Amino acid sequence: MMNAIDVHMLIRLIIAVVAAMAWVGINALVLVYCERKFAGHIQRRPGPFEVGPHGILQPLADGLKLMGKQLFRPAGADAFLFWLAPMLSLLPVLLLFLPIPYGPMLTAMNVSLGILLILAFSSLNVLALLLAGWSSNNKWGILGAARAVSQSVAYEIPLLLSVLAVTFMTGSFNLSAISTSQGAWPWQWNLMAQPLAFFIYLVSAFGETNRAPFDLAEAESELTAGFHTEYSSMGFGLFFMAEYAYMVVVCSVCTVLFLGGFRGPVADGWWWFLAKTYALLFLMIWVRWTYPRVRFDQLLNINWKWLLPLAVFNLLATAFVMKL
Amino acid sequence: MQTMAHVAFGVYAFIILAGAILAVASASLVRALVGLITTLLGVAGMYLLLASPFLAFMQLLIYVGAVSVMIFFAVMLTHAQTGGDESAPAPVRKFLLAAAGAAVPALVLGGLLYHRGVSGAAKPAVVGVEKLGTGLLGAYVLPFELISVILMVAMCAAVLLVWEKRGKRK
Repeated sequence: MMNAIDVHMLIRLIIAVVAAMAWVGINALVLVYCERKFAGHIQRRPGPFEVGPHGILQPLADGLKLMGKQLFRPAGADAFLFWLAPMLSLLPVLLLFLPIPYGPMLTAMNVSLGILLILAFSSLNVLALLLAGWSSNNKWGILGAARAVSQSVAYEIPLLLSVLAVTFMTGSFNLSAISTSQGAWPWQWNLMAQPLAFFIYLVSAFGETNRAPFDLAEAESELTAGFHTEYSSMGFGLFFMAEYAYMVVVCSVCTVLFLGGFRGPVADGWWWFLAKTYALLFLMIWVRWTYPRVRFDQLLNINWKWLLPLAVFNLLATAFVMKL
Repeated sequence: MQTMAHVAFGVYAFIILAGAILAVASASLVRALVGLITTLLGVAGMYLLLASPFLAFMQLLIYVGAVSVMIFFAVMLTHAQTGGDESAPAPVRKFLLAAAGAAVPALVLGGLLYHRGVSGAAKPAVVGVEKLGTGLLGAYVLPFELISVILMVAMCAAVLLVWEKRGKRK
């Protein structure tokens, strides 16, 4: 017999997953608009301007256009894997939002291993990109997939090491506990104690989310669109939404780990969380439209020759200082 | 709790078996890999059911996220043709033999457990990450370090192999 607690948990989980879906959708719309508008202003042009006041309805129009297009599968592609890949890219994202503490009480599930849950399920994305590239039966696709994987696998290591440095300090994998262990004011945040880890996390986050200047996997000048060359309509739409969702997750985790999460001056709450997350997201957009794309050997050299040794050094130093 | 656990066990067992069958029966190597990954996911679910979420997440992070990606890479690098010897449909006799081979241990073990079952604990013991950590660095420090040495040797060997190839090319 199912008792009341189980039913309660189940209902909570369902609500959380539905809320995560809505949150992913809203964020995709807002971020697409912001990205295009930012890109426009950075390049001294107005950006989208026609649909709605200041082009504010442009993402909706884009979405409708995307949905209206034909779903197309190239001949010789592995149909099962071809359609599995975009779903595999988006589905784990819905779980990633569960352990994130948006406010003191606003957590879908207070998981004691929250950060590990996020890291574990986000690793499925690499697999989705590989499947997409391979099953499209297209050389751009497979080259993009190969790049995406060697990049993601490489950048995951410094990312994990910088996260570990913070969990060393807090002694917990629980994101709520990590948030509350930090003070309200900026100088009480983990950013002050772990500036190097913050920097490493941020750079690795660009690598992990395949964002410029590290967007080698979909470098349009060389690979058309990389792993999603052959995807049209919502097949591409799902990858696109997953990419923006991963950006939000990465920035949310960064907020929790380094910027105090929902803690903030005057009053703690989700407003601080959202403000910090969106500040980081704008930083990501800003960087994308400021720096040119790096070369692939440069990309891997940055990781293996700089970030990885620095992250290991930072971890050892943290452990040493903690033991003192 | 009991019914939920039973349903979850059934679902995970189904996922594991379906993945295994997909891995064995599919002609394409990449599809077989997807089957393997499905099985690994199911095993992670089993760990979750046994109240060890740490192991479950590590299973996902290491096996699904890293090892299977490496296998995928190997498949791509070897440029496996889809028309290999093994990709031809197997005769029915082979399928029957394979099914019988799989059924024997299942029947023997299942029968043994059914007739002489041991009563397990009502609920799985919860072992926290702290306890795991102190265990690995306390009582089991020697095997733990030995594993890291083995991994180190494997990594050095891999680097050395690549080194040699580069030298020959010059």
